[in-house]
Amino acid sequence: MAHCERAAKPLLQCLQKSYPRALPTLQVQSTRAFQTTALAREEAQAEPKSQPFHKTPDPALVSSPRLERRLLRQGISPIGSRRRRAALQSSPNVPFEQLPYQCFQEARKVLLADREEKLKEIVSMREKIARLQAVPAEEAGGEQVKKSRLVAMELHLERLKILADINDPLVKKKFEDGQGDMSKPIYRYLADKKWREYRRKILVQRITQMKVIPDVLPHCDPVVDTKLYFGRSPVQPGEFVNSRVSTSAPKLDVQLFERGEKLVTIAVVDSDVPNVEKDGFDYRMHYLAVNVPISAVSTKVDLSKLSSESQVVLPWLPPVAQKGSPYHRLSVFVMEQKDSKPLDFAAVKAKETTRDNKLLRTLQARYHLKAIGAHLFRTEWDSTMAEVMKENGYAEVDMELRRKRVEPLPYKRRNPSTFR
Amino acid sequence: MLQQRLMAPLRVLERAIVPSLRSSQPISRPPPPSILSRTNTSASTPFLNRLLPFSQVRHASHATQGTANRHSRDPAGKRLGAKRTTGEYVVPGCIIFRQRGTKWFPGENCALGRDHTIYATEAGYVRYYLDPERHPDRKYIGVCFEKDGKLPTPRNAPTRRKLNRVAVPRLDDAPTPIAGQSDLVATIDNGTMVSSVEAVNAGSGSQLRPGYMYREANWQIGRAAEKAGITAKPYNPKNRWLAWRKRQARAERAAQMKSLKNKKKASKKGKGGR
Repeated sequence: MAHCERAAKPLLQCLQKSYPRALPTLQVQSTRAFQTTALAREEAQAEPKSQPFHKTPDPALVSSPRLERRLLRQGISPIGSRRRRAALQSSPNVPFEQLPYQCFQEARKVLLADREEKLKEIVSMREKIARLQAVPAEEAGGEQVKKSRLVAMELHLERLKILADINDPLVKKKFEDGQGDMSKPIYRYLADKKWREYRRKILVQRITQMKVIPDVLPHCDPVVDTKLYFGRSPVQPGEFVNSRVSTSAPKLDVQLFERGEKLVTIAVVDSDVPNVEKDGFDYRMHYLAVNVPISAVSTKVDLSKLSSESQVVLPWLPPVAQKGSPYHRLSVFVMEQKDSKPLDFAAVKAKETTRDNKLLRTLQARYHLKAIGAHLFRTEWDSTMAEVMKENGYAEVDMELRRKRVEPLPYKRRNPSTFR
Repeated sequence: MLQQRLMAPLRVLERAIVPSLRSSQPISRPPPPSILSRTNTSASTPFLNRLLPFSQVRHASHATQGTANRHSRDPAGKRLGAKRTTGEYVVPGCIIFRQRGTKWFPGENCALGRDHTIYATEAGYVRYYLDPERHPDRKYIGVCFEKDGKLPTPRNAPTRRKLNRVAVPRLDDAPTPIAGQSDLVATIDNGTMVSSVEAVNAGSGSQLRPGYMYREANWQIGRAAEKAGITAKPYNPKNRWLAWRKRQARAERAAQMKSLKNKKKASKKGKGGR
């Protein structure tokens, strides 16, 4: 018996104790609603299984690591914890609303009443907004007053929408199982909260500690969850990526937590290109695409598959690091275009032709962009770097950087009279 | 102090003695209300003199004796403080400030040593400054690249860095075949390395090695398996069956060794018992 199954045993016993089939006398006496479910379950048991479980494992019920792995290979991830799945395997599949616990049902009633109240409030708020919009600005006390009141009411409405569903256990379960529908405000809210709890903190720490924030952009407050993939493997913020792996353009998963669609500009900048003559560092733009649509439901952006006629200004250039140079920070920025209006692609393409020393600050000011998401990976000299550099026509491949010797300060005897 | 401590035994004494005292004293003098209130009376002094050594007290003024020469025990100065002043030129590794704890913090292009010493990490000019945006109370020491530059730099400005490197033709990472075949490394006067001279029949036989011993060279010993055509399987982390077998063998061996150890102990004990 797997340890998860053993762990789930007390839970099962508990469920089976309260399970009516074992106690027929109780069944006669009880007038609760769960009888129907028990019958339904028996029906479900009676129908024959067409295929053995190990042939077609159910992602909600699979508990052995082997079958889980098989599912994962097919691209289906098992739902919930292994302990829960093991418990579900032999439990009567009672629908959530009909669980035979009196206190639980009473509590649900309270929650449902609260939800009804919230729904009423939402309706009344919508009516209020509609009324205010119908009133001309002069009567409402000026354009500014009307606008600010409308914005405040909209915010309150959004808040009410979340409050209506936040206590629903089924919503919580669905979200935790990864089946949340991102077109609904409650799931967006939960996802945002989860992201801010850990992953955003990590991202902000990496981009500030590695000095991307003052080096590339003066300021960035990430509000979209950005994930980066090379092939199928995800890259943590700040991870070193092998040069051969990064020859092909990465995929982005940009999760927006707001309603509606946004047009964004995506830029990848290397801020550590060594410049020996200047004794300093230069910038290089490795990728630039404009007018990329993202929304809460369509999150996937494949940088290599964006259209080169209307989106990609500068195609992907594999990042490299010359031998002996300090690591290169490749920062990915997702920048919102002003009012989600498309930029004039032809004009941008005509203007932005060079990659070298193109500052993201300049672009930001020129096209009124605002950074809403960021990611970061690093490259350094590795065993495949020489080939990659040769393939992509970098001239510095034959040169190596060595530390310059710093002349020591001349020895100076201070105040010799005291040393006698 | 003394009186209070003596109070309890004296009260007992008083009860026992006072009647006799009264009788011995002349009737004309009124009897004292208590011995305790007038201990200097002639009648009670012999009793007190006898009692004193039993409960003596050392006062606080005595404990401080011997500290008059404290200054002689003062430790030597630790030569802490600033070693470089504002505007002085420093090179990487140059110590700028020695301190106990962090009286000063390392700012730009500086670092904190093991004993909180602040030293430069870049060549430049020393600056002592405050940076309220970074921390409201801390004092920082930094190194500035320009002679008349200012620190701190604004928080949203790109950091100023130096490459400090020169470009030279690249050497391949692949290890070049070792020129010398011997593990003797020394240079003779005319400039030839001993290791670069090919050893006599290095491939076949043993030679005179350091320490006056005839044996094969170390690199030959290392290649014994290669010569014999023994190849090790490349390690495959996914081969859990092999890993399990190895682990099992190790556990078995450990158990064997343990049992042997125990046997030895047991036998020793047995001997001791006899």
